[in-house]
Amino acid sequence: MIDSSSIKQLAGHPFDRRDFLKVLGWSGAAVALSGCGNTSIENGKETVVSYVEAADYVIPGVAVYYNSTCAQCDAGCNINGRVREGRVLKLEGNAASAINRGKMCGLGQAGVQHHYNPDRVREPLLRKGDKGETISWDKAYALIAEKLNGVSGEQVAFLSGAVSGHLKVLLGNYLESLGSKNLYVYEAVAPAVQRAANKKAYGTEMPRFNINKAKVVLSFGADFLGSWVSPVHFSQQYAQFRKGVDGQRGVLVQVESKMTLTGANADRWLVVRPGTEGILALGIINALGASGVTLSGDVAAAVQGYDKARVSNDTGVSVEHLDKLVALLKERTPSLVLAGSAAEGYAHGSQNAAAINLLNQVLGNVGKTIEASASVPFPQMIPAKGNTAALKTLNDDLAAGKYKVLFTYATNPVFTAPGSMKFKANLAKAGFKVAFAHYLDETALEADLVLPLDSALEDWGTQVPEYMAEGAQINIQQPLMEKLHANTQGMGDILLTLVKQREADKYKDFADYYGYLRGSLLTIKGALGSGGTDDDTFWDETLTSGIIKLAGSAEQLSGNASAAGLQLPAAAAADAQYSFHLIPSVTAYLRDGRHTNQPWLQESPDPLTTIVWDSWVEIHPKKAAELGIVEGDVLEVSSRTGSIRAQAYLFPGIHPDAISIPLGRGHEALGRYAKGYGVNPFQILDAVFDQETGELALHETRVKISKVGQRIIVVKDEGAAGGKPEQRRIALSKSTDQVKLSEEV
Amino acid sequence: MSVSNLLENWSQFRHFHPVDDKPHDPYKWAMSIDIDACSGCNACSVACYAENNIPVVGKERFQHGQQMHWMRIERYWPDHDFDFPEQGAEFLPMMCQQCEAAPCETVCPVGATNHTADGLNSQIYNRCIGSRYCSANCPFKVRYFNWYDYPTDETVWPAEMNRQLNPDVSVRGKGVMEKCTFCVQRLRAAEVTAKGEGRIVREGEVQTACQQACPTSAISFGNLVDPESRVHKQWQAQQVEMNVDEQEKDKEPGGSHLRGYRILEELRPYPSVMYLERVRESAI
Repeated sequence: MIDSSSIKQLAGHPFDRRDFLKVLGWSGAAVALSGCGNTSIENGKETVVSYVEAADYVIPGVAVYYNSTCAQCDAGCNINGRVREGRVLKLEGNAASAINRGKMCGLGQAGVQHHYNPDRVREPLLRKGDKGETISWDKAYALIAEKLNGVSGEQVAFLSGAVSGHLKVLLGNYLESLGSKNLYVYEAVAPAVQRAANKKAYGTEMPRFNINKAKVVLSFGADFLGSWVSPVHFSQQYAQFRKGVDGQRGVLVQVESKMTLTGANADRWLVVRPGTEGILALGIINALGASGVTLSGDVAAAVQGYDKARVSNDTGVSVEHLDKLVALLKERTPSLVLAGSAAEGYAHGSQNAAAINLLNQVLGNVGKTIEASASVPFPQMIPAKGNTAALKTLNDDLAAGKYKVLFTYATNPVFTAPGSMKFKANLAKAGFKVAFAHYLDETALEADLVLPLDSALEDWGTQVPEYMAEGAQINIQQPLMEKLHANTQGMGDILLTLVKQREADKYKDFADYYGYLRGSLLTIKGALGSGGTDDDTFWDETLTSGIIKLAGSAEQLSGNASAAGLQLPAAAAADAQYSFHLIPSVTAYLRDGRHTNQPWLQESPDPLTTIVWDSWVEIHPKKAAELGIVEGDVLEVSSRTGSIRAQAYLFPGIHPDAISIPLGRGHEALGRYAKGYGVNPFQILDAVFDQETGELALHETRVKISKVGQRIIVVKDEGAAGGKPEQRRIALSKSTDQVKLSEEV
Repeated sequence: MSVSNLLENWSQFRHFHPVDDKPHDPYKWAMSIDIDACSGCNACSVACYAENNIPVVGKERFQHGQQMHWMRIERYWPDHDFDFPEQGAEFLPMMCQQCEAAPCETVCPVGATNHTADGLNSQIYNRCIGSRYCSANCPFKVRYFNWYDYPTDETVWPAEMNRQLNPDVSVRGKGVMEKCTFCVQRLRAAEVTAKGEGRIVREGEVQTACQQACPTSAISFGNLVDPESRVHKQWQAQQVEMNVDEQEKDKEPGGSHLRGYRILEELRPYPSVMYLERVRESAI
């Protein structure tokens, strides 16, 4: 895609652009020849006439834009890469996208720093003792074939991050050719419990949430502006929600034990005792019933006993706030209730989520603010999902010495597996470990063979988002520039080569992954709604827009309003030895830590604490005063699994019985911008799992803290006043009864 | 220019734009930021790093206060005592306010920072001698000094990373001051294109990098003297006037329903950025 202004410039040009450039180019060459007696620039690497035969649309000084797909998280935002003189400079949003509508988060924009990262792996590396020895790709492929020789499918496993589209198809085909069923998909911070709870309540794992149609959003720890599901999409919905309908601004109430970015934007932030979110939800249903909302028999029975006094006592939310919230929910409809990872990270996480989803049913939101999502009519392309339950199975198998060959891709379990799993030790029991990697991360360092991957800005691909914003769509990923390093390969190309080792005949028509991708999409052209278009036109249009929008079939919501099986435990008792709940927080930019080596993300202050480049322990100021802790005191945080040390930060947005440490830092490898900065709370997580889904209960780890007697300066952006405006008119605020939003522009 | 001349004719030197002899025609670039929409996510700040070749200084230099973020998000808690921040935090995107009577301009010994005809507070890097008076005199603290020669610093733009640099924006060396430019490179390109076509830049034709990225569209940017521009309409609806130091809404006893305000207006820098107050629900 070329931008409109440069087209205009070209159209108005008095003579042919190519001739013009050739003239310029040759005269430039003549100058170079006579001027310095050298026919080359930059040490003879390039000839000065390079632009004469430049690729289409490469005009020196004019930026061109190509559409592609963001690969920094799984939300599938459509991006528009700014390219000049063959270099990609900046990633912007694709305005035609229903997901991000031209917008981008900081994590997505840092994708260029993934691409240009100085710490990328550049050559295939084979383990020689403690070191990696550079080998050729041919040798690497031969080695894989050799290691797979005589190995049964059951002895091969593939551990992958979330994959979708044609890569998932090819991966499935490869494993099939090996006779292996052992595909483990592991995303450390995926909303796995939520998917299961949604499936039960609505009949679909990921319905569409219409924040923009809700008058009240009640979110139980769903950080939809920061890291939850599809944050850029939800941020736009949120902006509409705040503007409201007829000037009535949407109201956001956030219930959680540690303030998230979304909580920081709430009209009312309600701090709850960790793990009691479900109790609060049932208490609200009970109170709604008491105020005249009709409850079905089994729901009424399920919430019986959750009277205000008990709920207030269990959760710590005052009766006054509970009353106001119930009145608001009753008066302003439709509303929307969201269950996020904070409510689900407990052994009874599924029950919490079920209670919260039940509230949506009682309020009649299903079908209004929760709708069926469109799905891609190619089930083989929809994302492969998985969380810690999958990793646990793999870990058990590894411990039993089951695997002779293990592949890993797009996931870093040595860094993200809970310490209690002892994954690193078990990984060593696999016979031959192949890591497909961008960086030498903690997992790649344990591998026997490391194969370097193209960056997402150099590679071809298709991606299917799990959360569909409007209609269904398939996202196109295309190279925005030439490969930076000669010896990296695309994951698709690698899988194609590997599958050809097994079934050469079946794939002989595809010279490379690009050919495979193009061929596959052309065969389903009709189903994609372009049956009448010729192949080249279809392909050009697809690459130009970067999105294939599909009619899609809407799944039906089941609307299961039953409270059957809902059984919440009483609020957790205090643990005398490990008195704090540990809340490992998922931040918007670092998530599970795979992108920590991108310096923009390291230096982008955490929105709530403004801390950069380091980890910290959030503790409530009152609790800190009680324990004699001040900012910068280094604390030893110990769980039953292990201990880590980090500096204290006094933070008012946290329950006094909890402390919080952000995830994503504390790398021992990955690269120069990640290694040695901060600590990794994954290491001290206990092995507690959700009772229904078997997924990791991220918030169940209990810890004790002690001062180690050292105090350091917290590196942060906020000033000495700790973020107090001190009576100056800086960030002003009004209440809704003081403004007339409908009269605004 | 003698000091006595300066003092006697102060009003001549200390004037703000537009003045009769230098009207804002056809452009006056201005911004409005709705802090009720702003979620504090930092996407604007990262966009600014990407667009304007801002160096990542690293942990140690950040600790020394040498960070270079032209666009930063300030986070505030309420002034009164509280146990829990029950109405959340307040986020405020802060960058150069492109003041019409900029305190930084009057103190520059070499005239490296001055006003452009289209209403920008410009910074001329190769005229700057690094006195840092401008930064000292800036009430918003949005000027950033290059304490090191970042372009040659291997930790900042090592090989390959330097290929991301935007060729439209100069990379600043040691000893010069820098700050938000309202993405002047984009403005100039749009102005030149429009001039070639014999018109002025249309509303929506040019965006700043922060505005373009903002996931909640909290930032509006445009030509304040163009009646069609969203910024013009917003300023007008909020009754915020460029050349006064006390707005209509502040004069109303008991407060007004208007949300528009400019930060530190009482110091009379006449900022080009209007903020819209955050709103919180009264029923909960």
